[in-house]
Amino acid sequence: MIAASEDLRRRTLAQTSSALDRLIYLASMRDYNTGLYVHQGLAARFSAEVACEALADCHQECFRELIFLGLKDLTEQLNVYMQSTGTEADDFLRTWRELEPYRVAVPVGTDSLVAQFLFSNLKVALAILEHQNSRVPEPIPVA
Amino acid sequence: MTQLIIFLGVVVGLVVLLLVAMRRQPARAAGSAGELVTAKKTLESLRSGLLPPELVEQVFGQRDLTYVEKMGSKDIRDLFLSERKQLALTWIRMVRRQVRALKEFHVSRSRMFIQMSWWKEFSLAVDFASLEIRCAILQILMQWRGAYAAPDFARRTAAAAGRVCSTLDQSLAFLTPSIPVSLGTESDADGSMV
Repeated sequence: MIAASEDLRRRTLAQTSSALDRLIYLASMRDYNTGLYVHQGLAARFSAEVACEALADCHQECFRELIFLGLKDLTEQLNVYMQSTGTEADDFLRTWRELEPYRVAVPVGTDSLVAQFLFSNLKVALAILEHQNSRVPEPIPVA
Repeated sequence: MTQLIIFLGVVVGLVVLLLVAMRRQPARAAGSAGELVTAKKTLESLRSGLLPPELVEQVFGQRDLTYVEKMGSKDIRDLFLSERKQLALTWIRMVRRQVRALKEFHVSRSRMFIQMSWWKEFSLAVDFASLEIRCAILQILMQWRGAYAAPDFARRTAAAAGRVCSTLDQSLAFLTPSIPVSLGTESDADGSMV
């Protein structure tokens, strides 16, 4: 499993920009119905079970990393993630505020208080980004 | 007739004694193993889920507040303080509930397994009582003034709870190898999980 985790970190997760990015990516690899992680490439190199364990391990790892981030760093990571999606900032912020997609991105078995801490920080980070976004001056149209 | 009354009196007396003796026995001897494991899990969950100094510092430390205040927005500051207040209150309620559960367990069960010295028993009782008072004060302060009402007091309360956990851990040491529980991987004692 350690080899699979290392492989995942080296080949796939190294391409992600931040812990938040990794968290979203790894959560997306999890089947909503079974809670099991699926990664075809990793499963082909190792086995489906080992791949699942490696993904779960990395998911826990980046979740823990996010928990101990300060609000400033979390806001910066959220901003970078928002820009990487290519979505308009207003749309992204509204969607995240209304749907709270991050709630399904935490690893299974996470302590409720620890999860609540991350959700709370993300909620404030979204408000900060909205505040910063609203202060960006409109570009002056060229006559 | 007199003999019958005496006989009935003896019978009733024996039945009463039998009932008293039955009530003094552990209510569910068969459930003890399960309760021990639950207590161990509560202990581990408290120590690794609620009391790690890093987590306590994240909730009660001033770093994030300083950052938010630099934003210069009252709305964001209010949102942040409200979020932290909720979080701090949840934290203190969970700590309080779990400490209470451990105290009840200790009073009802663990003394049957481990012989504690009188002095240690007394010291633990004092620790439990002071922890309960600390938690109650902290809860009132947070309810009134928010998460940053008494950060040092919160840190000291967490440290005191940690010390009680260490003492209790010795009582449950016979359950080793311990049930592995790490931050973010286990629910609290009431089973609330994400």
